[in-house]
Amino acid sequence: MRYSLAFLCLLLQSMPAVSRAQAATPAESSEMVRALLDRIDRLEKRVAELESRSGAPGASTPTAPEAAAPVTQEAAKPNPAEAAPSQLVAEPQMTSGHAGMPQMTAPSPRIEGFSDINFAATDKHGSHSGFNEGQFVLHFNSALSSKVNFMGELSLTARTDAGTGTPAATGFNAEVERAIIQFQQNDYFKVSFGRYHTPINWWNMTFHHGQWLQTTAARPEMVQFGGSFLPIHFVGTLVEGTLPANGMNLNYNFGLGNGRSSVISRAGDWGDINNNKAWLAGLFSRPSGLYGFQFGGSVYRDEITRAAGNQFREWIQSAHVVWQKGDPELIAEFSNVTHREVGAMIQSNSQAWYVQAGYRLPWFEKLWKPYYRFEYIHIPGSDRLFNTIVEGKLVPVVPSLAGSTLGVRYDISSFAALKFEYRNQRRPGEPRVNGAFAQTSFTF
Amino acid sequence: MLRRKTVLSGFWLLVLLSLAVWLPMPGAPLDSGVVIVVNPSVPVNDLSFSEVRRIFLGERQFWSSSLRISLLMRAPATRDREVLLKTVYEMSEAQFRQHWIGKVFRAEATGTPQMFYSDEEIFGALAAIPGSIAAVETTRVPRGLKVIRIDGHLPGEPGYRLH
Repeated sequence: MRYSLAFLCLLLQSMPAVSRAQAATPAESSEMVRALLDRIDRLEKRVAELESRSGAPGASTPTAPEAAAPVTQEAAKPNPAEAAPSQLVAEPQMTSGHAGMPQMTAPSPRIEGFSDINFAATDKHGSHSGFNEGQFVLHFNSALSSKVNFMGELSLTARTDAGTGTPAATGFNAEVERAIIQFQQNDYFKVSFGRYHTPINWWNMTFHHGQWLQTTAARPEMVQFGGSFLPIHFVGTLVEGTLPANGMNLNYNFGLGNGRSSVISRAGDWGDINNNKAWLAGLFSRPSGLYGFQFGGSVYRDEITRAAGNQFREWIQSAHVVWQKGDPELIAEFSNVTHREVGAMIQSNSQAWYVQAGYRLPWFEKLWKPYYRFEYIHIPGSDRLFNTIVEGKLVPVVPSLAGSTLGVRYDISSFAALKFEYRNQRRPGEPRVNGAFAQTSFTF
Repeated sequence: MLRRKTVLSGFWLLVLLSLAVWLPMPGAPLDSGVVIVVNPSVPVNDLSFSEVRRIFLGERQFWSSSLRISLLMRAPATRDREVLLKTVYEMSEAQFRQHWIGKVFRAEATGTPQMFYSDEEIFGALAAIPGSIAAVETTRVPRGLKVIRIDGHLPGEPGYRLH
């Protein structure tokens, strides 16, 4: 009886602990374990770092202010006598380039990387299934002062013709994808110079070359790297900022640059091909009341001179609506590209749009995210920039397209993902192509 | 008889002690909220919840033209960070990391929030770095730092959202 009573009491005492342990879902527990392991790693590194610096004790450890006190109305008021930071503490150790910018003697760039490995198999005539290395991307970020930042993005891309010899061997192409120096006056006004991903398309200004950041394995065709429908890169200057606007949080940008080169998939990196500068203007809103929601639009204007000498005026109008809280994720974008050959009467309008939806499943620790995207590109035969005539035949430079992508993303860790996709694409005059794709993408 | 009484008294004492374990304890980590504290140089006393969210998301980066916002955060698996992730970011730890990696990658920020492993470290940095802001547990706010009201409320007042 006594043992039973004691056992009952022990059981009662242990129940809170059990119930608290059970309160966490398996996802939360695993997240917690990961976080703790991460924390242990960092603490170990920090201990090693402190031990290695033991010759200069107290050089960088900030001293905490006085003893803790519960929050009261009194505590909410700062004490002017205690307010002078320099009197309170030694200089803190900075982990990023910005805060405080203490006596910086040299820039300390932060380097991150992204990469992806892919497998593709399609029923397209003449194609081979196999693996290919995606882009190897290095990303540099450096605060040059509290108001000046530099950001660079360098990619190495496997190509069939990047090597030497005849015929050219396979190899890697190196490219400076972005190089931006930005001066920030405040939130309302920032001016920058460099090579950008043209900010006239939400996807193009959100995911860049980090495949891991995007849900799907590939970008929509309208903003595919190496594609020509929209100018992917822009060399010039950009003014941008954010205005609160009563909770609408309006973001604006205005850019002036070289626009497309004579090869329309490329930007005018070395200079403009004519004296007409490209310009763009964009406006988007992230309303405070709808966390995760964004909508906006932009216009882009350029004059393009082809290698053959003929000139085209280009107008692009774009719009986007995005809900990106994860459950669900919804992205819709539309662009209309107007071309008119200088001296000709014909004006043509080409359109592209896509709609993408994804949903992170609440089960399996929220690691699986199925998604679907439909995309459509319409290029009329009258567009003389997006079509060319070869031996009397109209050959599309930018082909029309109707395609679907159905896939699932699995997050292996906080920094790596696996994606499996089925794609179905149809282009005019060609048989429908079905393909299976797998990708592992990660940041490091 | 006496022995039986003693056993029963002991039993009821143990039962009461066991039940006491179930009662909420003052300052228990599961119930405590966080408070937004800033360096005394920050020219703000009250922020709306949406402004707090914009600041911690890195969408607002300046207090004024001459004062940049410096985000400070406690390390993962601390109560301060959990409350911030749950109420302000509405993200998991993994989503939070992805958010900041994306932010830096888009050249919208030069770095992620600075991370600290102890109260002493974060309070020291808060006092030292002009424009710094952090969320700390309500029960551990040191003197000398400025506490920000959220939508006019301090912790414990009705309508306070950071818990």
